[in-house]
Amino acid sequence: MEKEKLEKLLNKLSERMTESVRPGLTEDVKRQIPQQLRAHRMGMNTIRIMIDLRVSRLAAAAVIIITIILGANFFGPKGSTGGDIVEAIEYSLARENIGRSDMLTNMAVIYEGLLKEGKDIVYYGDSTNRGDGFTMLMHWKLPNGKYRVIFSDLRITTVSPDMLIMLQAQMLQDKTKK
Amino acid sequence: MSKKVKFTEQAAELAHLINVQQNPDRNHENEEQKQDLLVSRLRSGDRAAAAELVDSYYQQIYLYMRRLGHNHQASEDLTQEIFLQTWNRIGQLQDGKALKSWLYRIAGNASRLYWRRNKGKKAISIEGFDVPVSSTANSDKSEDEEQLEKLEEAIARLPMKMRQAVVLHYLQNLTIVEAAEAAGVRKGTFKSRLSRALKVLREDII
Repeated sequence: MEKEKLEKLLNKLSERMTESVRPGLTEDVKRQIPQQLRAHRMGMNTIRIMIDLRVSRLAAAAVIIITIILGANFFGPKGSTGGDIVEAIEYSLARENIGRSDMLTNMAVIYEGLLKEGKDIVYYGDSTNRGDGFTMLMHWKLPNGKYRVIFSDLRITTVSPDMLIMLQAQMLQDKTKK
Repeated sequence: MSKKVKFTEQAAELAHLINVQQNPDRNHENEEQKQDLLVSRLRSGDRAAAAELVDSYYQQIYLYMRRLGHNHQASEDLTQEIFLQTWNRIGQLQDGKALKSWLYRIAGNASRLYWRRNKGKKAISIEGFDVPVSSTANSDKSEDEEQLEKLEEAIARLPMKMRQAVVLHYLQNLTIVEAAEAAGVRKGTFKSRLSRALKVLREDII
C-alpha cells in the first residue's frame, strides 16, 4: 500500500476509533483535585531525580544525609570540635543502615567539610588500606591537645599525641614492608 | 435593546471566527498564551485552573488510553490516575507550551506501568470501539471500511512503542514535536520509529 493512502486511512481511523466518554467521568476526576495544589515538593522531587539518575537508593540516602550535615555545619555556629559531623555520620551508619562502602566513597566530601570548618586536618586519602582497623583515614587536633582519628574501618576515637605518633609509625612501617 | 445586544454579540462572534480563519498564526499564539496562563495558574495552586485542565483534556486522555488498547474500565481508571499524578507533579511543570505533551507523557507512563503490572494478560482489549451502527449494519462493507478494520487490527498488533507513535501522531493529532516530547524521545528518534511503524502497517495490510 502506498504511504499516502495509508496516511489517509489513518486520518479516517481517528474518526472511527472514537467513542463518547461516560458523562460522570469528568466529575469523578474533578472530585480528586486536592484542596491545596502544591507547586513544589522539594524533598520528594530530589529523591525522584536521584532515582531517575539510577543512583542506588542507599548511595542517594548517604549523599542526602552528608549534604544536610555539611550544610548545617557550614551555616551553623563555628568553633565546634568537628566531632558533630563524625558523630552524625556514626549515627546515620547505625540508624539508616547505609553501606560502609558508600560512606567511604564520600570520605573526601567529609574531609572538605571539615577543612571548611577550619580544622587542622590530615587526610591520608585513597592510598590507605581500607578495612584495616589500625590504618588512619584522617585525623585532626582537638582544643585539649589530643587528636580525633577516623580509622579505615570507620571507627572514630580520640588518641593522645604519643599514640598518634605510634599509629603513624605503624602505618609507615606497613608501607615500607610493601 | 436586548435584540441590539444579541446582534452585537453575534457580530463579535462572527468577527472572531473570521479573524481565526484569516490569522491562524495569531490564533496559535493566542492558544499558547492561554496555555501559559493556565500553567501559571496551576502552579500557583488555582483549583479552578485544575478543573479547566480536566475539562480540556479528559476526553483526549481517555481516548488515548482506549486507542492504546485498554478496555473501557481500565481507561477510566487510568484517566483518573493520570490526573491524580498530574496534581502531584504540578511543581515539575515549567513551560506552558509543553503542557499537552507533559500530560501525554504522564499518560504514556501510566499506560506502560499498567501493562507491566498486568503482564501475561491480553495486551489488547477485546472491547472494540462503539462504531456507528450505519457503518456496521450494512452487509456490503465498502473497501475503505474493510481496510480501516484491517488497519485497526494491524495497529493493535504493533509493538508498544510503534503503536504509541502511530496513536500519538495520527489518532491523537499531535505534531511530531509534541508527540516526540510525549513519548520522551528526540524528534529524530520519534520520526524513525513512526516510519518503521508505517512500514510494518503497509506490509501488514496489503
